[in-house]
Amino acid sequence: MSECIVITSGKGGVGKTTTTANLGVALARSGAKVAVVDADIGLRNLDVILGLENRIVYDLVHVIEGECRLKQALIRDKRAEGLYLLPAAQTRDKNAVTPAQMRELVRQMKEEFDFVLMDCPAGIEQGFKNAIAGADRAIIVTTPEVSAIRDADRIIGMVEAAELPEPELIINRVRPRMVASGDMMNKEDILEILAIPLLGLVPDHEDVIVTANRGMPAAFDDESIVGEAYRRIARRVKGEKDVPELVLDHDTSFWATLKRWMGLAPTREVAG
Amino acid sequence: MRELFKNIFGTKPKQSKDDAKQRLKFLLIHDQVDLTPGQLEQMKAEIMEVIARYVEIEGDHGTEFKLAREDGHVALVSSIPVRRVVERAAS
Repeated sequence: MSECIVITSGKGGVGKTTTTANLGVALARSGAKVAVVDADIGLRNLDVILGLENRIVYDLVHVIEGECRLKQALIRDKRAEGLYLLPAAQTRDKNAVTPAQMRELVRQMKEEFDFVLMDCPAGIEQGFKNAIAGADRAIIVTTPEVSAIRDADRIIGMVEAAELPEPELIINRVRPRMVASGDMMNKEDILEILAIPLLGLVPDHEDVIVTANRGMPAAFDDESIVGEAYRRIARRVKGEKDVPELVLDHDTSFWATLKRWMGLAPTREVAG
Repeated sequence: MRELFKNIFGTKPKQSKDDAKQRLKFLLIHDQVDLTPGQLEQMKAEIMEVIARYVEIEGDHGTEFKLAREDGHVALVSSIPVRRVVERAAS
């Protein structure tokens, strides 16, 4: 059974595109046939995060306007079997497509793919409506900040109003040490407020920037903790139960170890 | 060292995440309900007026009237101390 998942957040800059790319890579590497779709028409970025920007010939708007076939616009990622990108148009705007056209596009894509991941633009206007039009379920990305969680709450309401099933949450940019010291909301705090199921936490790690520089998402790297976070999230997305939580707290310095050993450091580890 | 003292003496300074959480809760209630403080006051006054037709209430003392949020739903939570039931006018 194939499904279209929209990755959304309301607020910009919380990591929707990075999440879409990594989830796409992780799902494809686990054996699924995956298309990632950049629905941010006019501000395309998913191609850059995936390092596929040099291979774009046709885009989503070309497909919708019938200037090319879907197969011609899809870019195959040679690094992962079964991973394809449908890029957004860069020179058009959000009004170039309608929700009905997006629904038809997704229907067509679901015949080919196990997962269609839709990278939603920030905001709650036309671009959001287009991105959720063909979706079967939604993933909300947030960061542990007041503004991002506020917007996430608004989007959860809109997803429910669109009669999609209850969305699931990814908490991005978690800093384990700040959580341990009480200077960052922890996952319990956030879940108490947003009250939707959690798919997982992603640490705020240098890997994200380094991998974006290279156009090589962390989910390709078996050693990366960010990659591991996305791989576990991908397993949960596929419906696997009891995926072990990933311990984000990697302070292995002498003092941290000693403090833990003496029972002086915060004992509750940050995991998700 | 601070960590050590904190653990030994069990004193815990207010954490900034608690501020964040409190501000968020307030924000979300008001995003969802979209009433001005003035409208809230008016609602309270009108509800009290209706209740006063049936029971004698303590006035503003000990009256609690607030919006709270649980599981994504906003509820109007009020606690209104009642002195006694007003004798119904010959109905």
